[in-house]
Amino acid sequence: MEKTAEISDKPVIQIDHLVKEYKSSDGTIIRAVNNVSMSVAPGEIVGLLGANGAGKTTTLRIIATLLQPTSGHAQVCNHDSITDPVGVRQSLGYVSATTGVPDRLTARELLTSFGRLHGLKENAIKDRLDWLITTLSLRDYIDRPAGRLSSGQRQRISLGRALVHNPPALVLDEPTNALDVVGSRDLLDTLDRLREGGHAILLSTHRLHEIEHRCDRFVIIDKGHIVAVGTRDELVGNSGELEDAFFHAIEQGAHT
Amino acid sequence: MKDSPQIADAHDLSQSHPPEENWFAAIRTVTGFQLNRLMTRPRLAMGLVGALFPAAVMFAVMRTAPINRDMTVAMIYVLIPEALCVLGLLVTMCPVVADELERGTWIHVAVRPRGRQSLLLGTFAAAVIWTGGVSLVALMLTLLISQPTQPIGLVVMFTILIGMSCVGRAALFALPAVILPKRALIASVGVALVVEYFAGLLPAVVNQVTVSLRLRSLLVEWMEWRNDLPIEMTLFVDNYSAPVQILAVCILVFILLTTAGFILNRRQFPPSVEN
Repeated sequence: MEKTAEISDKPVIQIDHLVKEYKSSDGTIIRAVNNVSMSVAPGEIVGLLGANGAGKTTTLRIIATLLQPTSGHAQVCNHDSITDPVGVRQSLGYVSATTGVPDRLTARELLTSFGRLHGLKENAIKDRLDWLITTLSLRDYIDRPAGRLSSGQRQRISLGRALVHNPPALVLDEPTNALDVVGSRDLLDTLDRLREGGHAILLSTHRLHEIEHRCDRFVIIDKGHIVAVGTRDELVGNSGELEDAFFHAIEQGAHT
Repeated sequence: MKDSPQIADAHDLSQSHPPEENWFAAIRTVTGFQLNRLMTRPRLAMGLVGALFPAAVMFAVMRTAPINRDMTVAMIYVLIPEALCVLGLLVTMCPVVADELERGTWIHVAVRPRGRQSLLLGTFAAAVIWTGGVSLVALMLTLLISQPTQPIGLVVMFTILIGMSCVGRAALFALPAVILPKRALIASVGVALVVEYFAGLLPAVVNQVTVSLRLRSLLVEWMEWRNDLPIEMTLFVDNYSAPVQILAVCILVFILLTTAGFILNRRQFPPSVEN
């Protein structure tokens, strides 16, 4: 039987029975996401864990309206990703492993551009920029071209770009992939603070040890299926580590 | 974290309203961004070569034999609105989606409320401005070399033809760019050859939907060549007035951009397609 993540009160992100199929070059149907349901409440960080090709990125991209589900629904702040994609995009910030920060632009120019792309007025952009500079500690390099910044600094700018319109929901796809230990910790500390501010955060990663004690709940996905859901304590029990629980869940999932 | 953060609380977030739609500002932002991308040394050098090319051809021809005003105008027409504009737009309009996929910026643009349409229209505007600018410089250089009589009238006429060529062809290339982003350049060359240069010369209904027919017809009308054309050549031009020709290009541009926007809005790129 398919495991389903516990539905939180008034979830900001809600997905129900999500299925995504791709047609491969030889015509066979590949089911990348198979009947996945979960939710993320305000002030909650949910970790989406899985191996490469498990369906994490596809799930996150359906939520972000970048892909359309074959069946099922994804909602952000009650906006459906198919019937109201603009509403979803207004309510969501998306961060990916590839920062896509142009080398020639400064953080200020990039964040201002994306504020305008969101339709924000100039005074609103200025206010948001001040907030982002403070919250993400961008002050030291806000006017430096991104080509001269470290991976961690670029990823922080990418996070700023996702937050420029003050979205209640934040989706991060392996945001610490290219970061060193210091950069990762810095980014995850920022996510902790955003959670305290009430953001609903859905985060996918391979690096279990980094998020083991930061996420409120975990959803483990394998071959498109959810194989385990719960808090760290529920998954791990009294002994062992999240990594052990992760492998155990995948093995159990393979046998069911 | 060095600074004391001021994180919005849950109440602020739940009360936050969607930002007011300001689509024009979004398009203008993308246009500025794309023009900034075109201001690299290789692109500027490419633009300079493009601007010098028609003048160089004109200079070479004039050294071989003297040419009259009509021949000068015909050469400028072929070299600039028909050739240089098309080449410039192939470079600037075709990569509208492919560039974003390769640079990893597509997802960041596509998750914005009107990001896809802004990307399309902003890139369209940047392509028209860039190619139009290069073409106008080329026009001035070519006129300087050829020194025809009544140059002001020619500048006005060719400025309109260049503008229409850029707008019409950029909209035309938007279609292959969103349908086949990874092969947009090849597809657009095919479209230019098949639609603009082959179908545009067919004396049939199909040539009514080409930009080349409109430009040719305007050239013939404004140069008052219609009565001097051999009877068989009249098949390749249209008899409608200049405002009708301009309106026809505007309608074509609207249809092409609307279709491209519709397709782009529904495009899905699996993660494996990026990079």
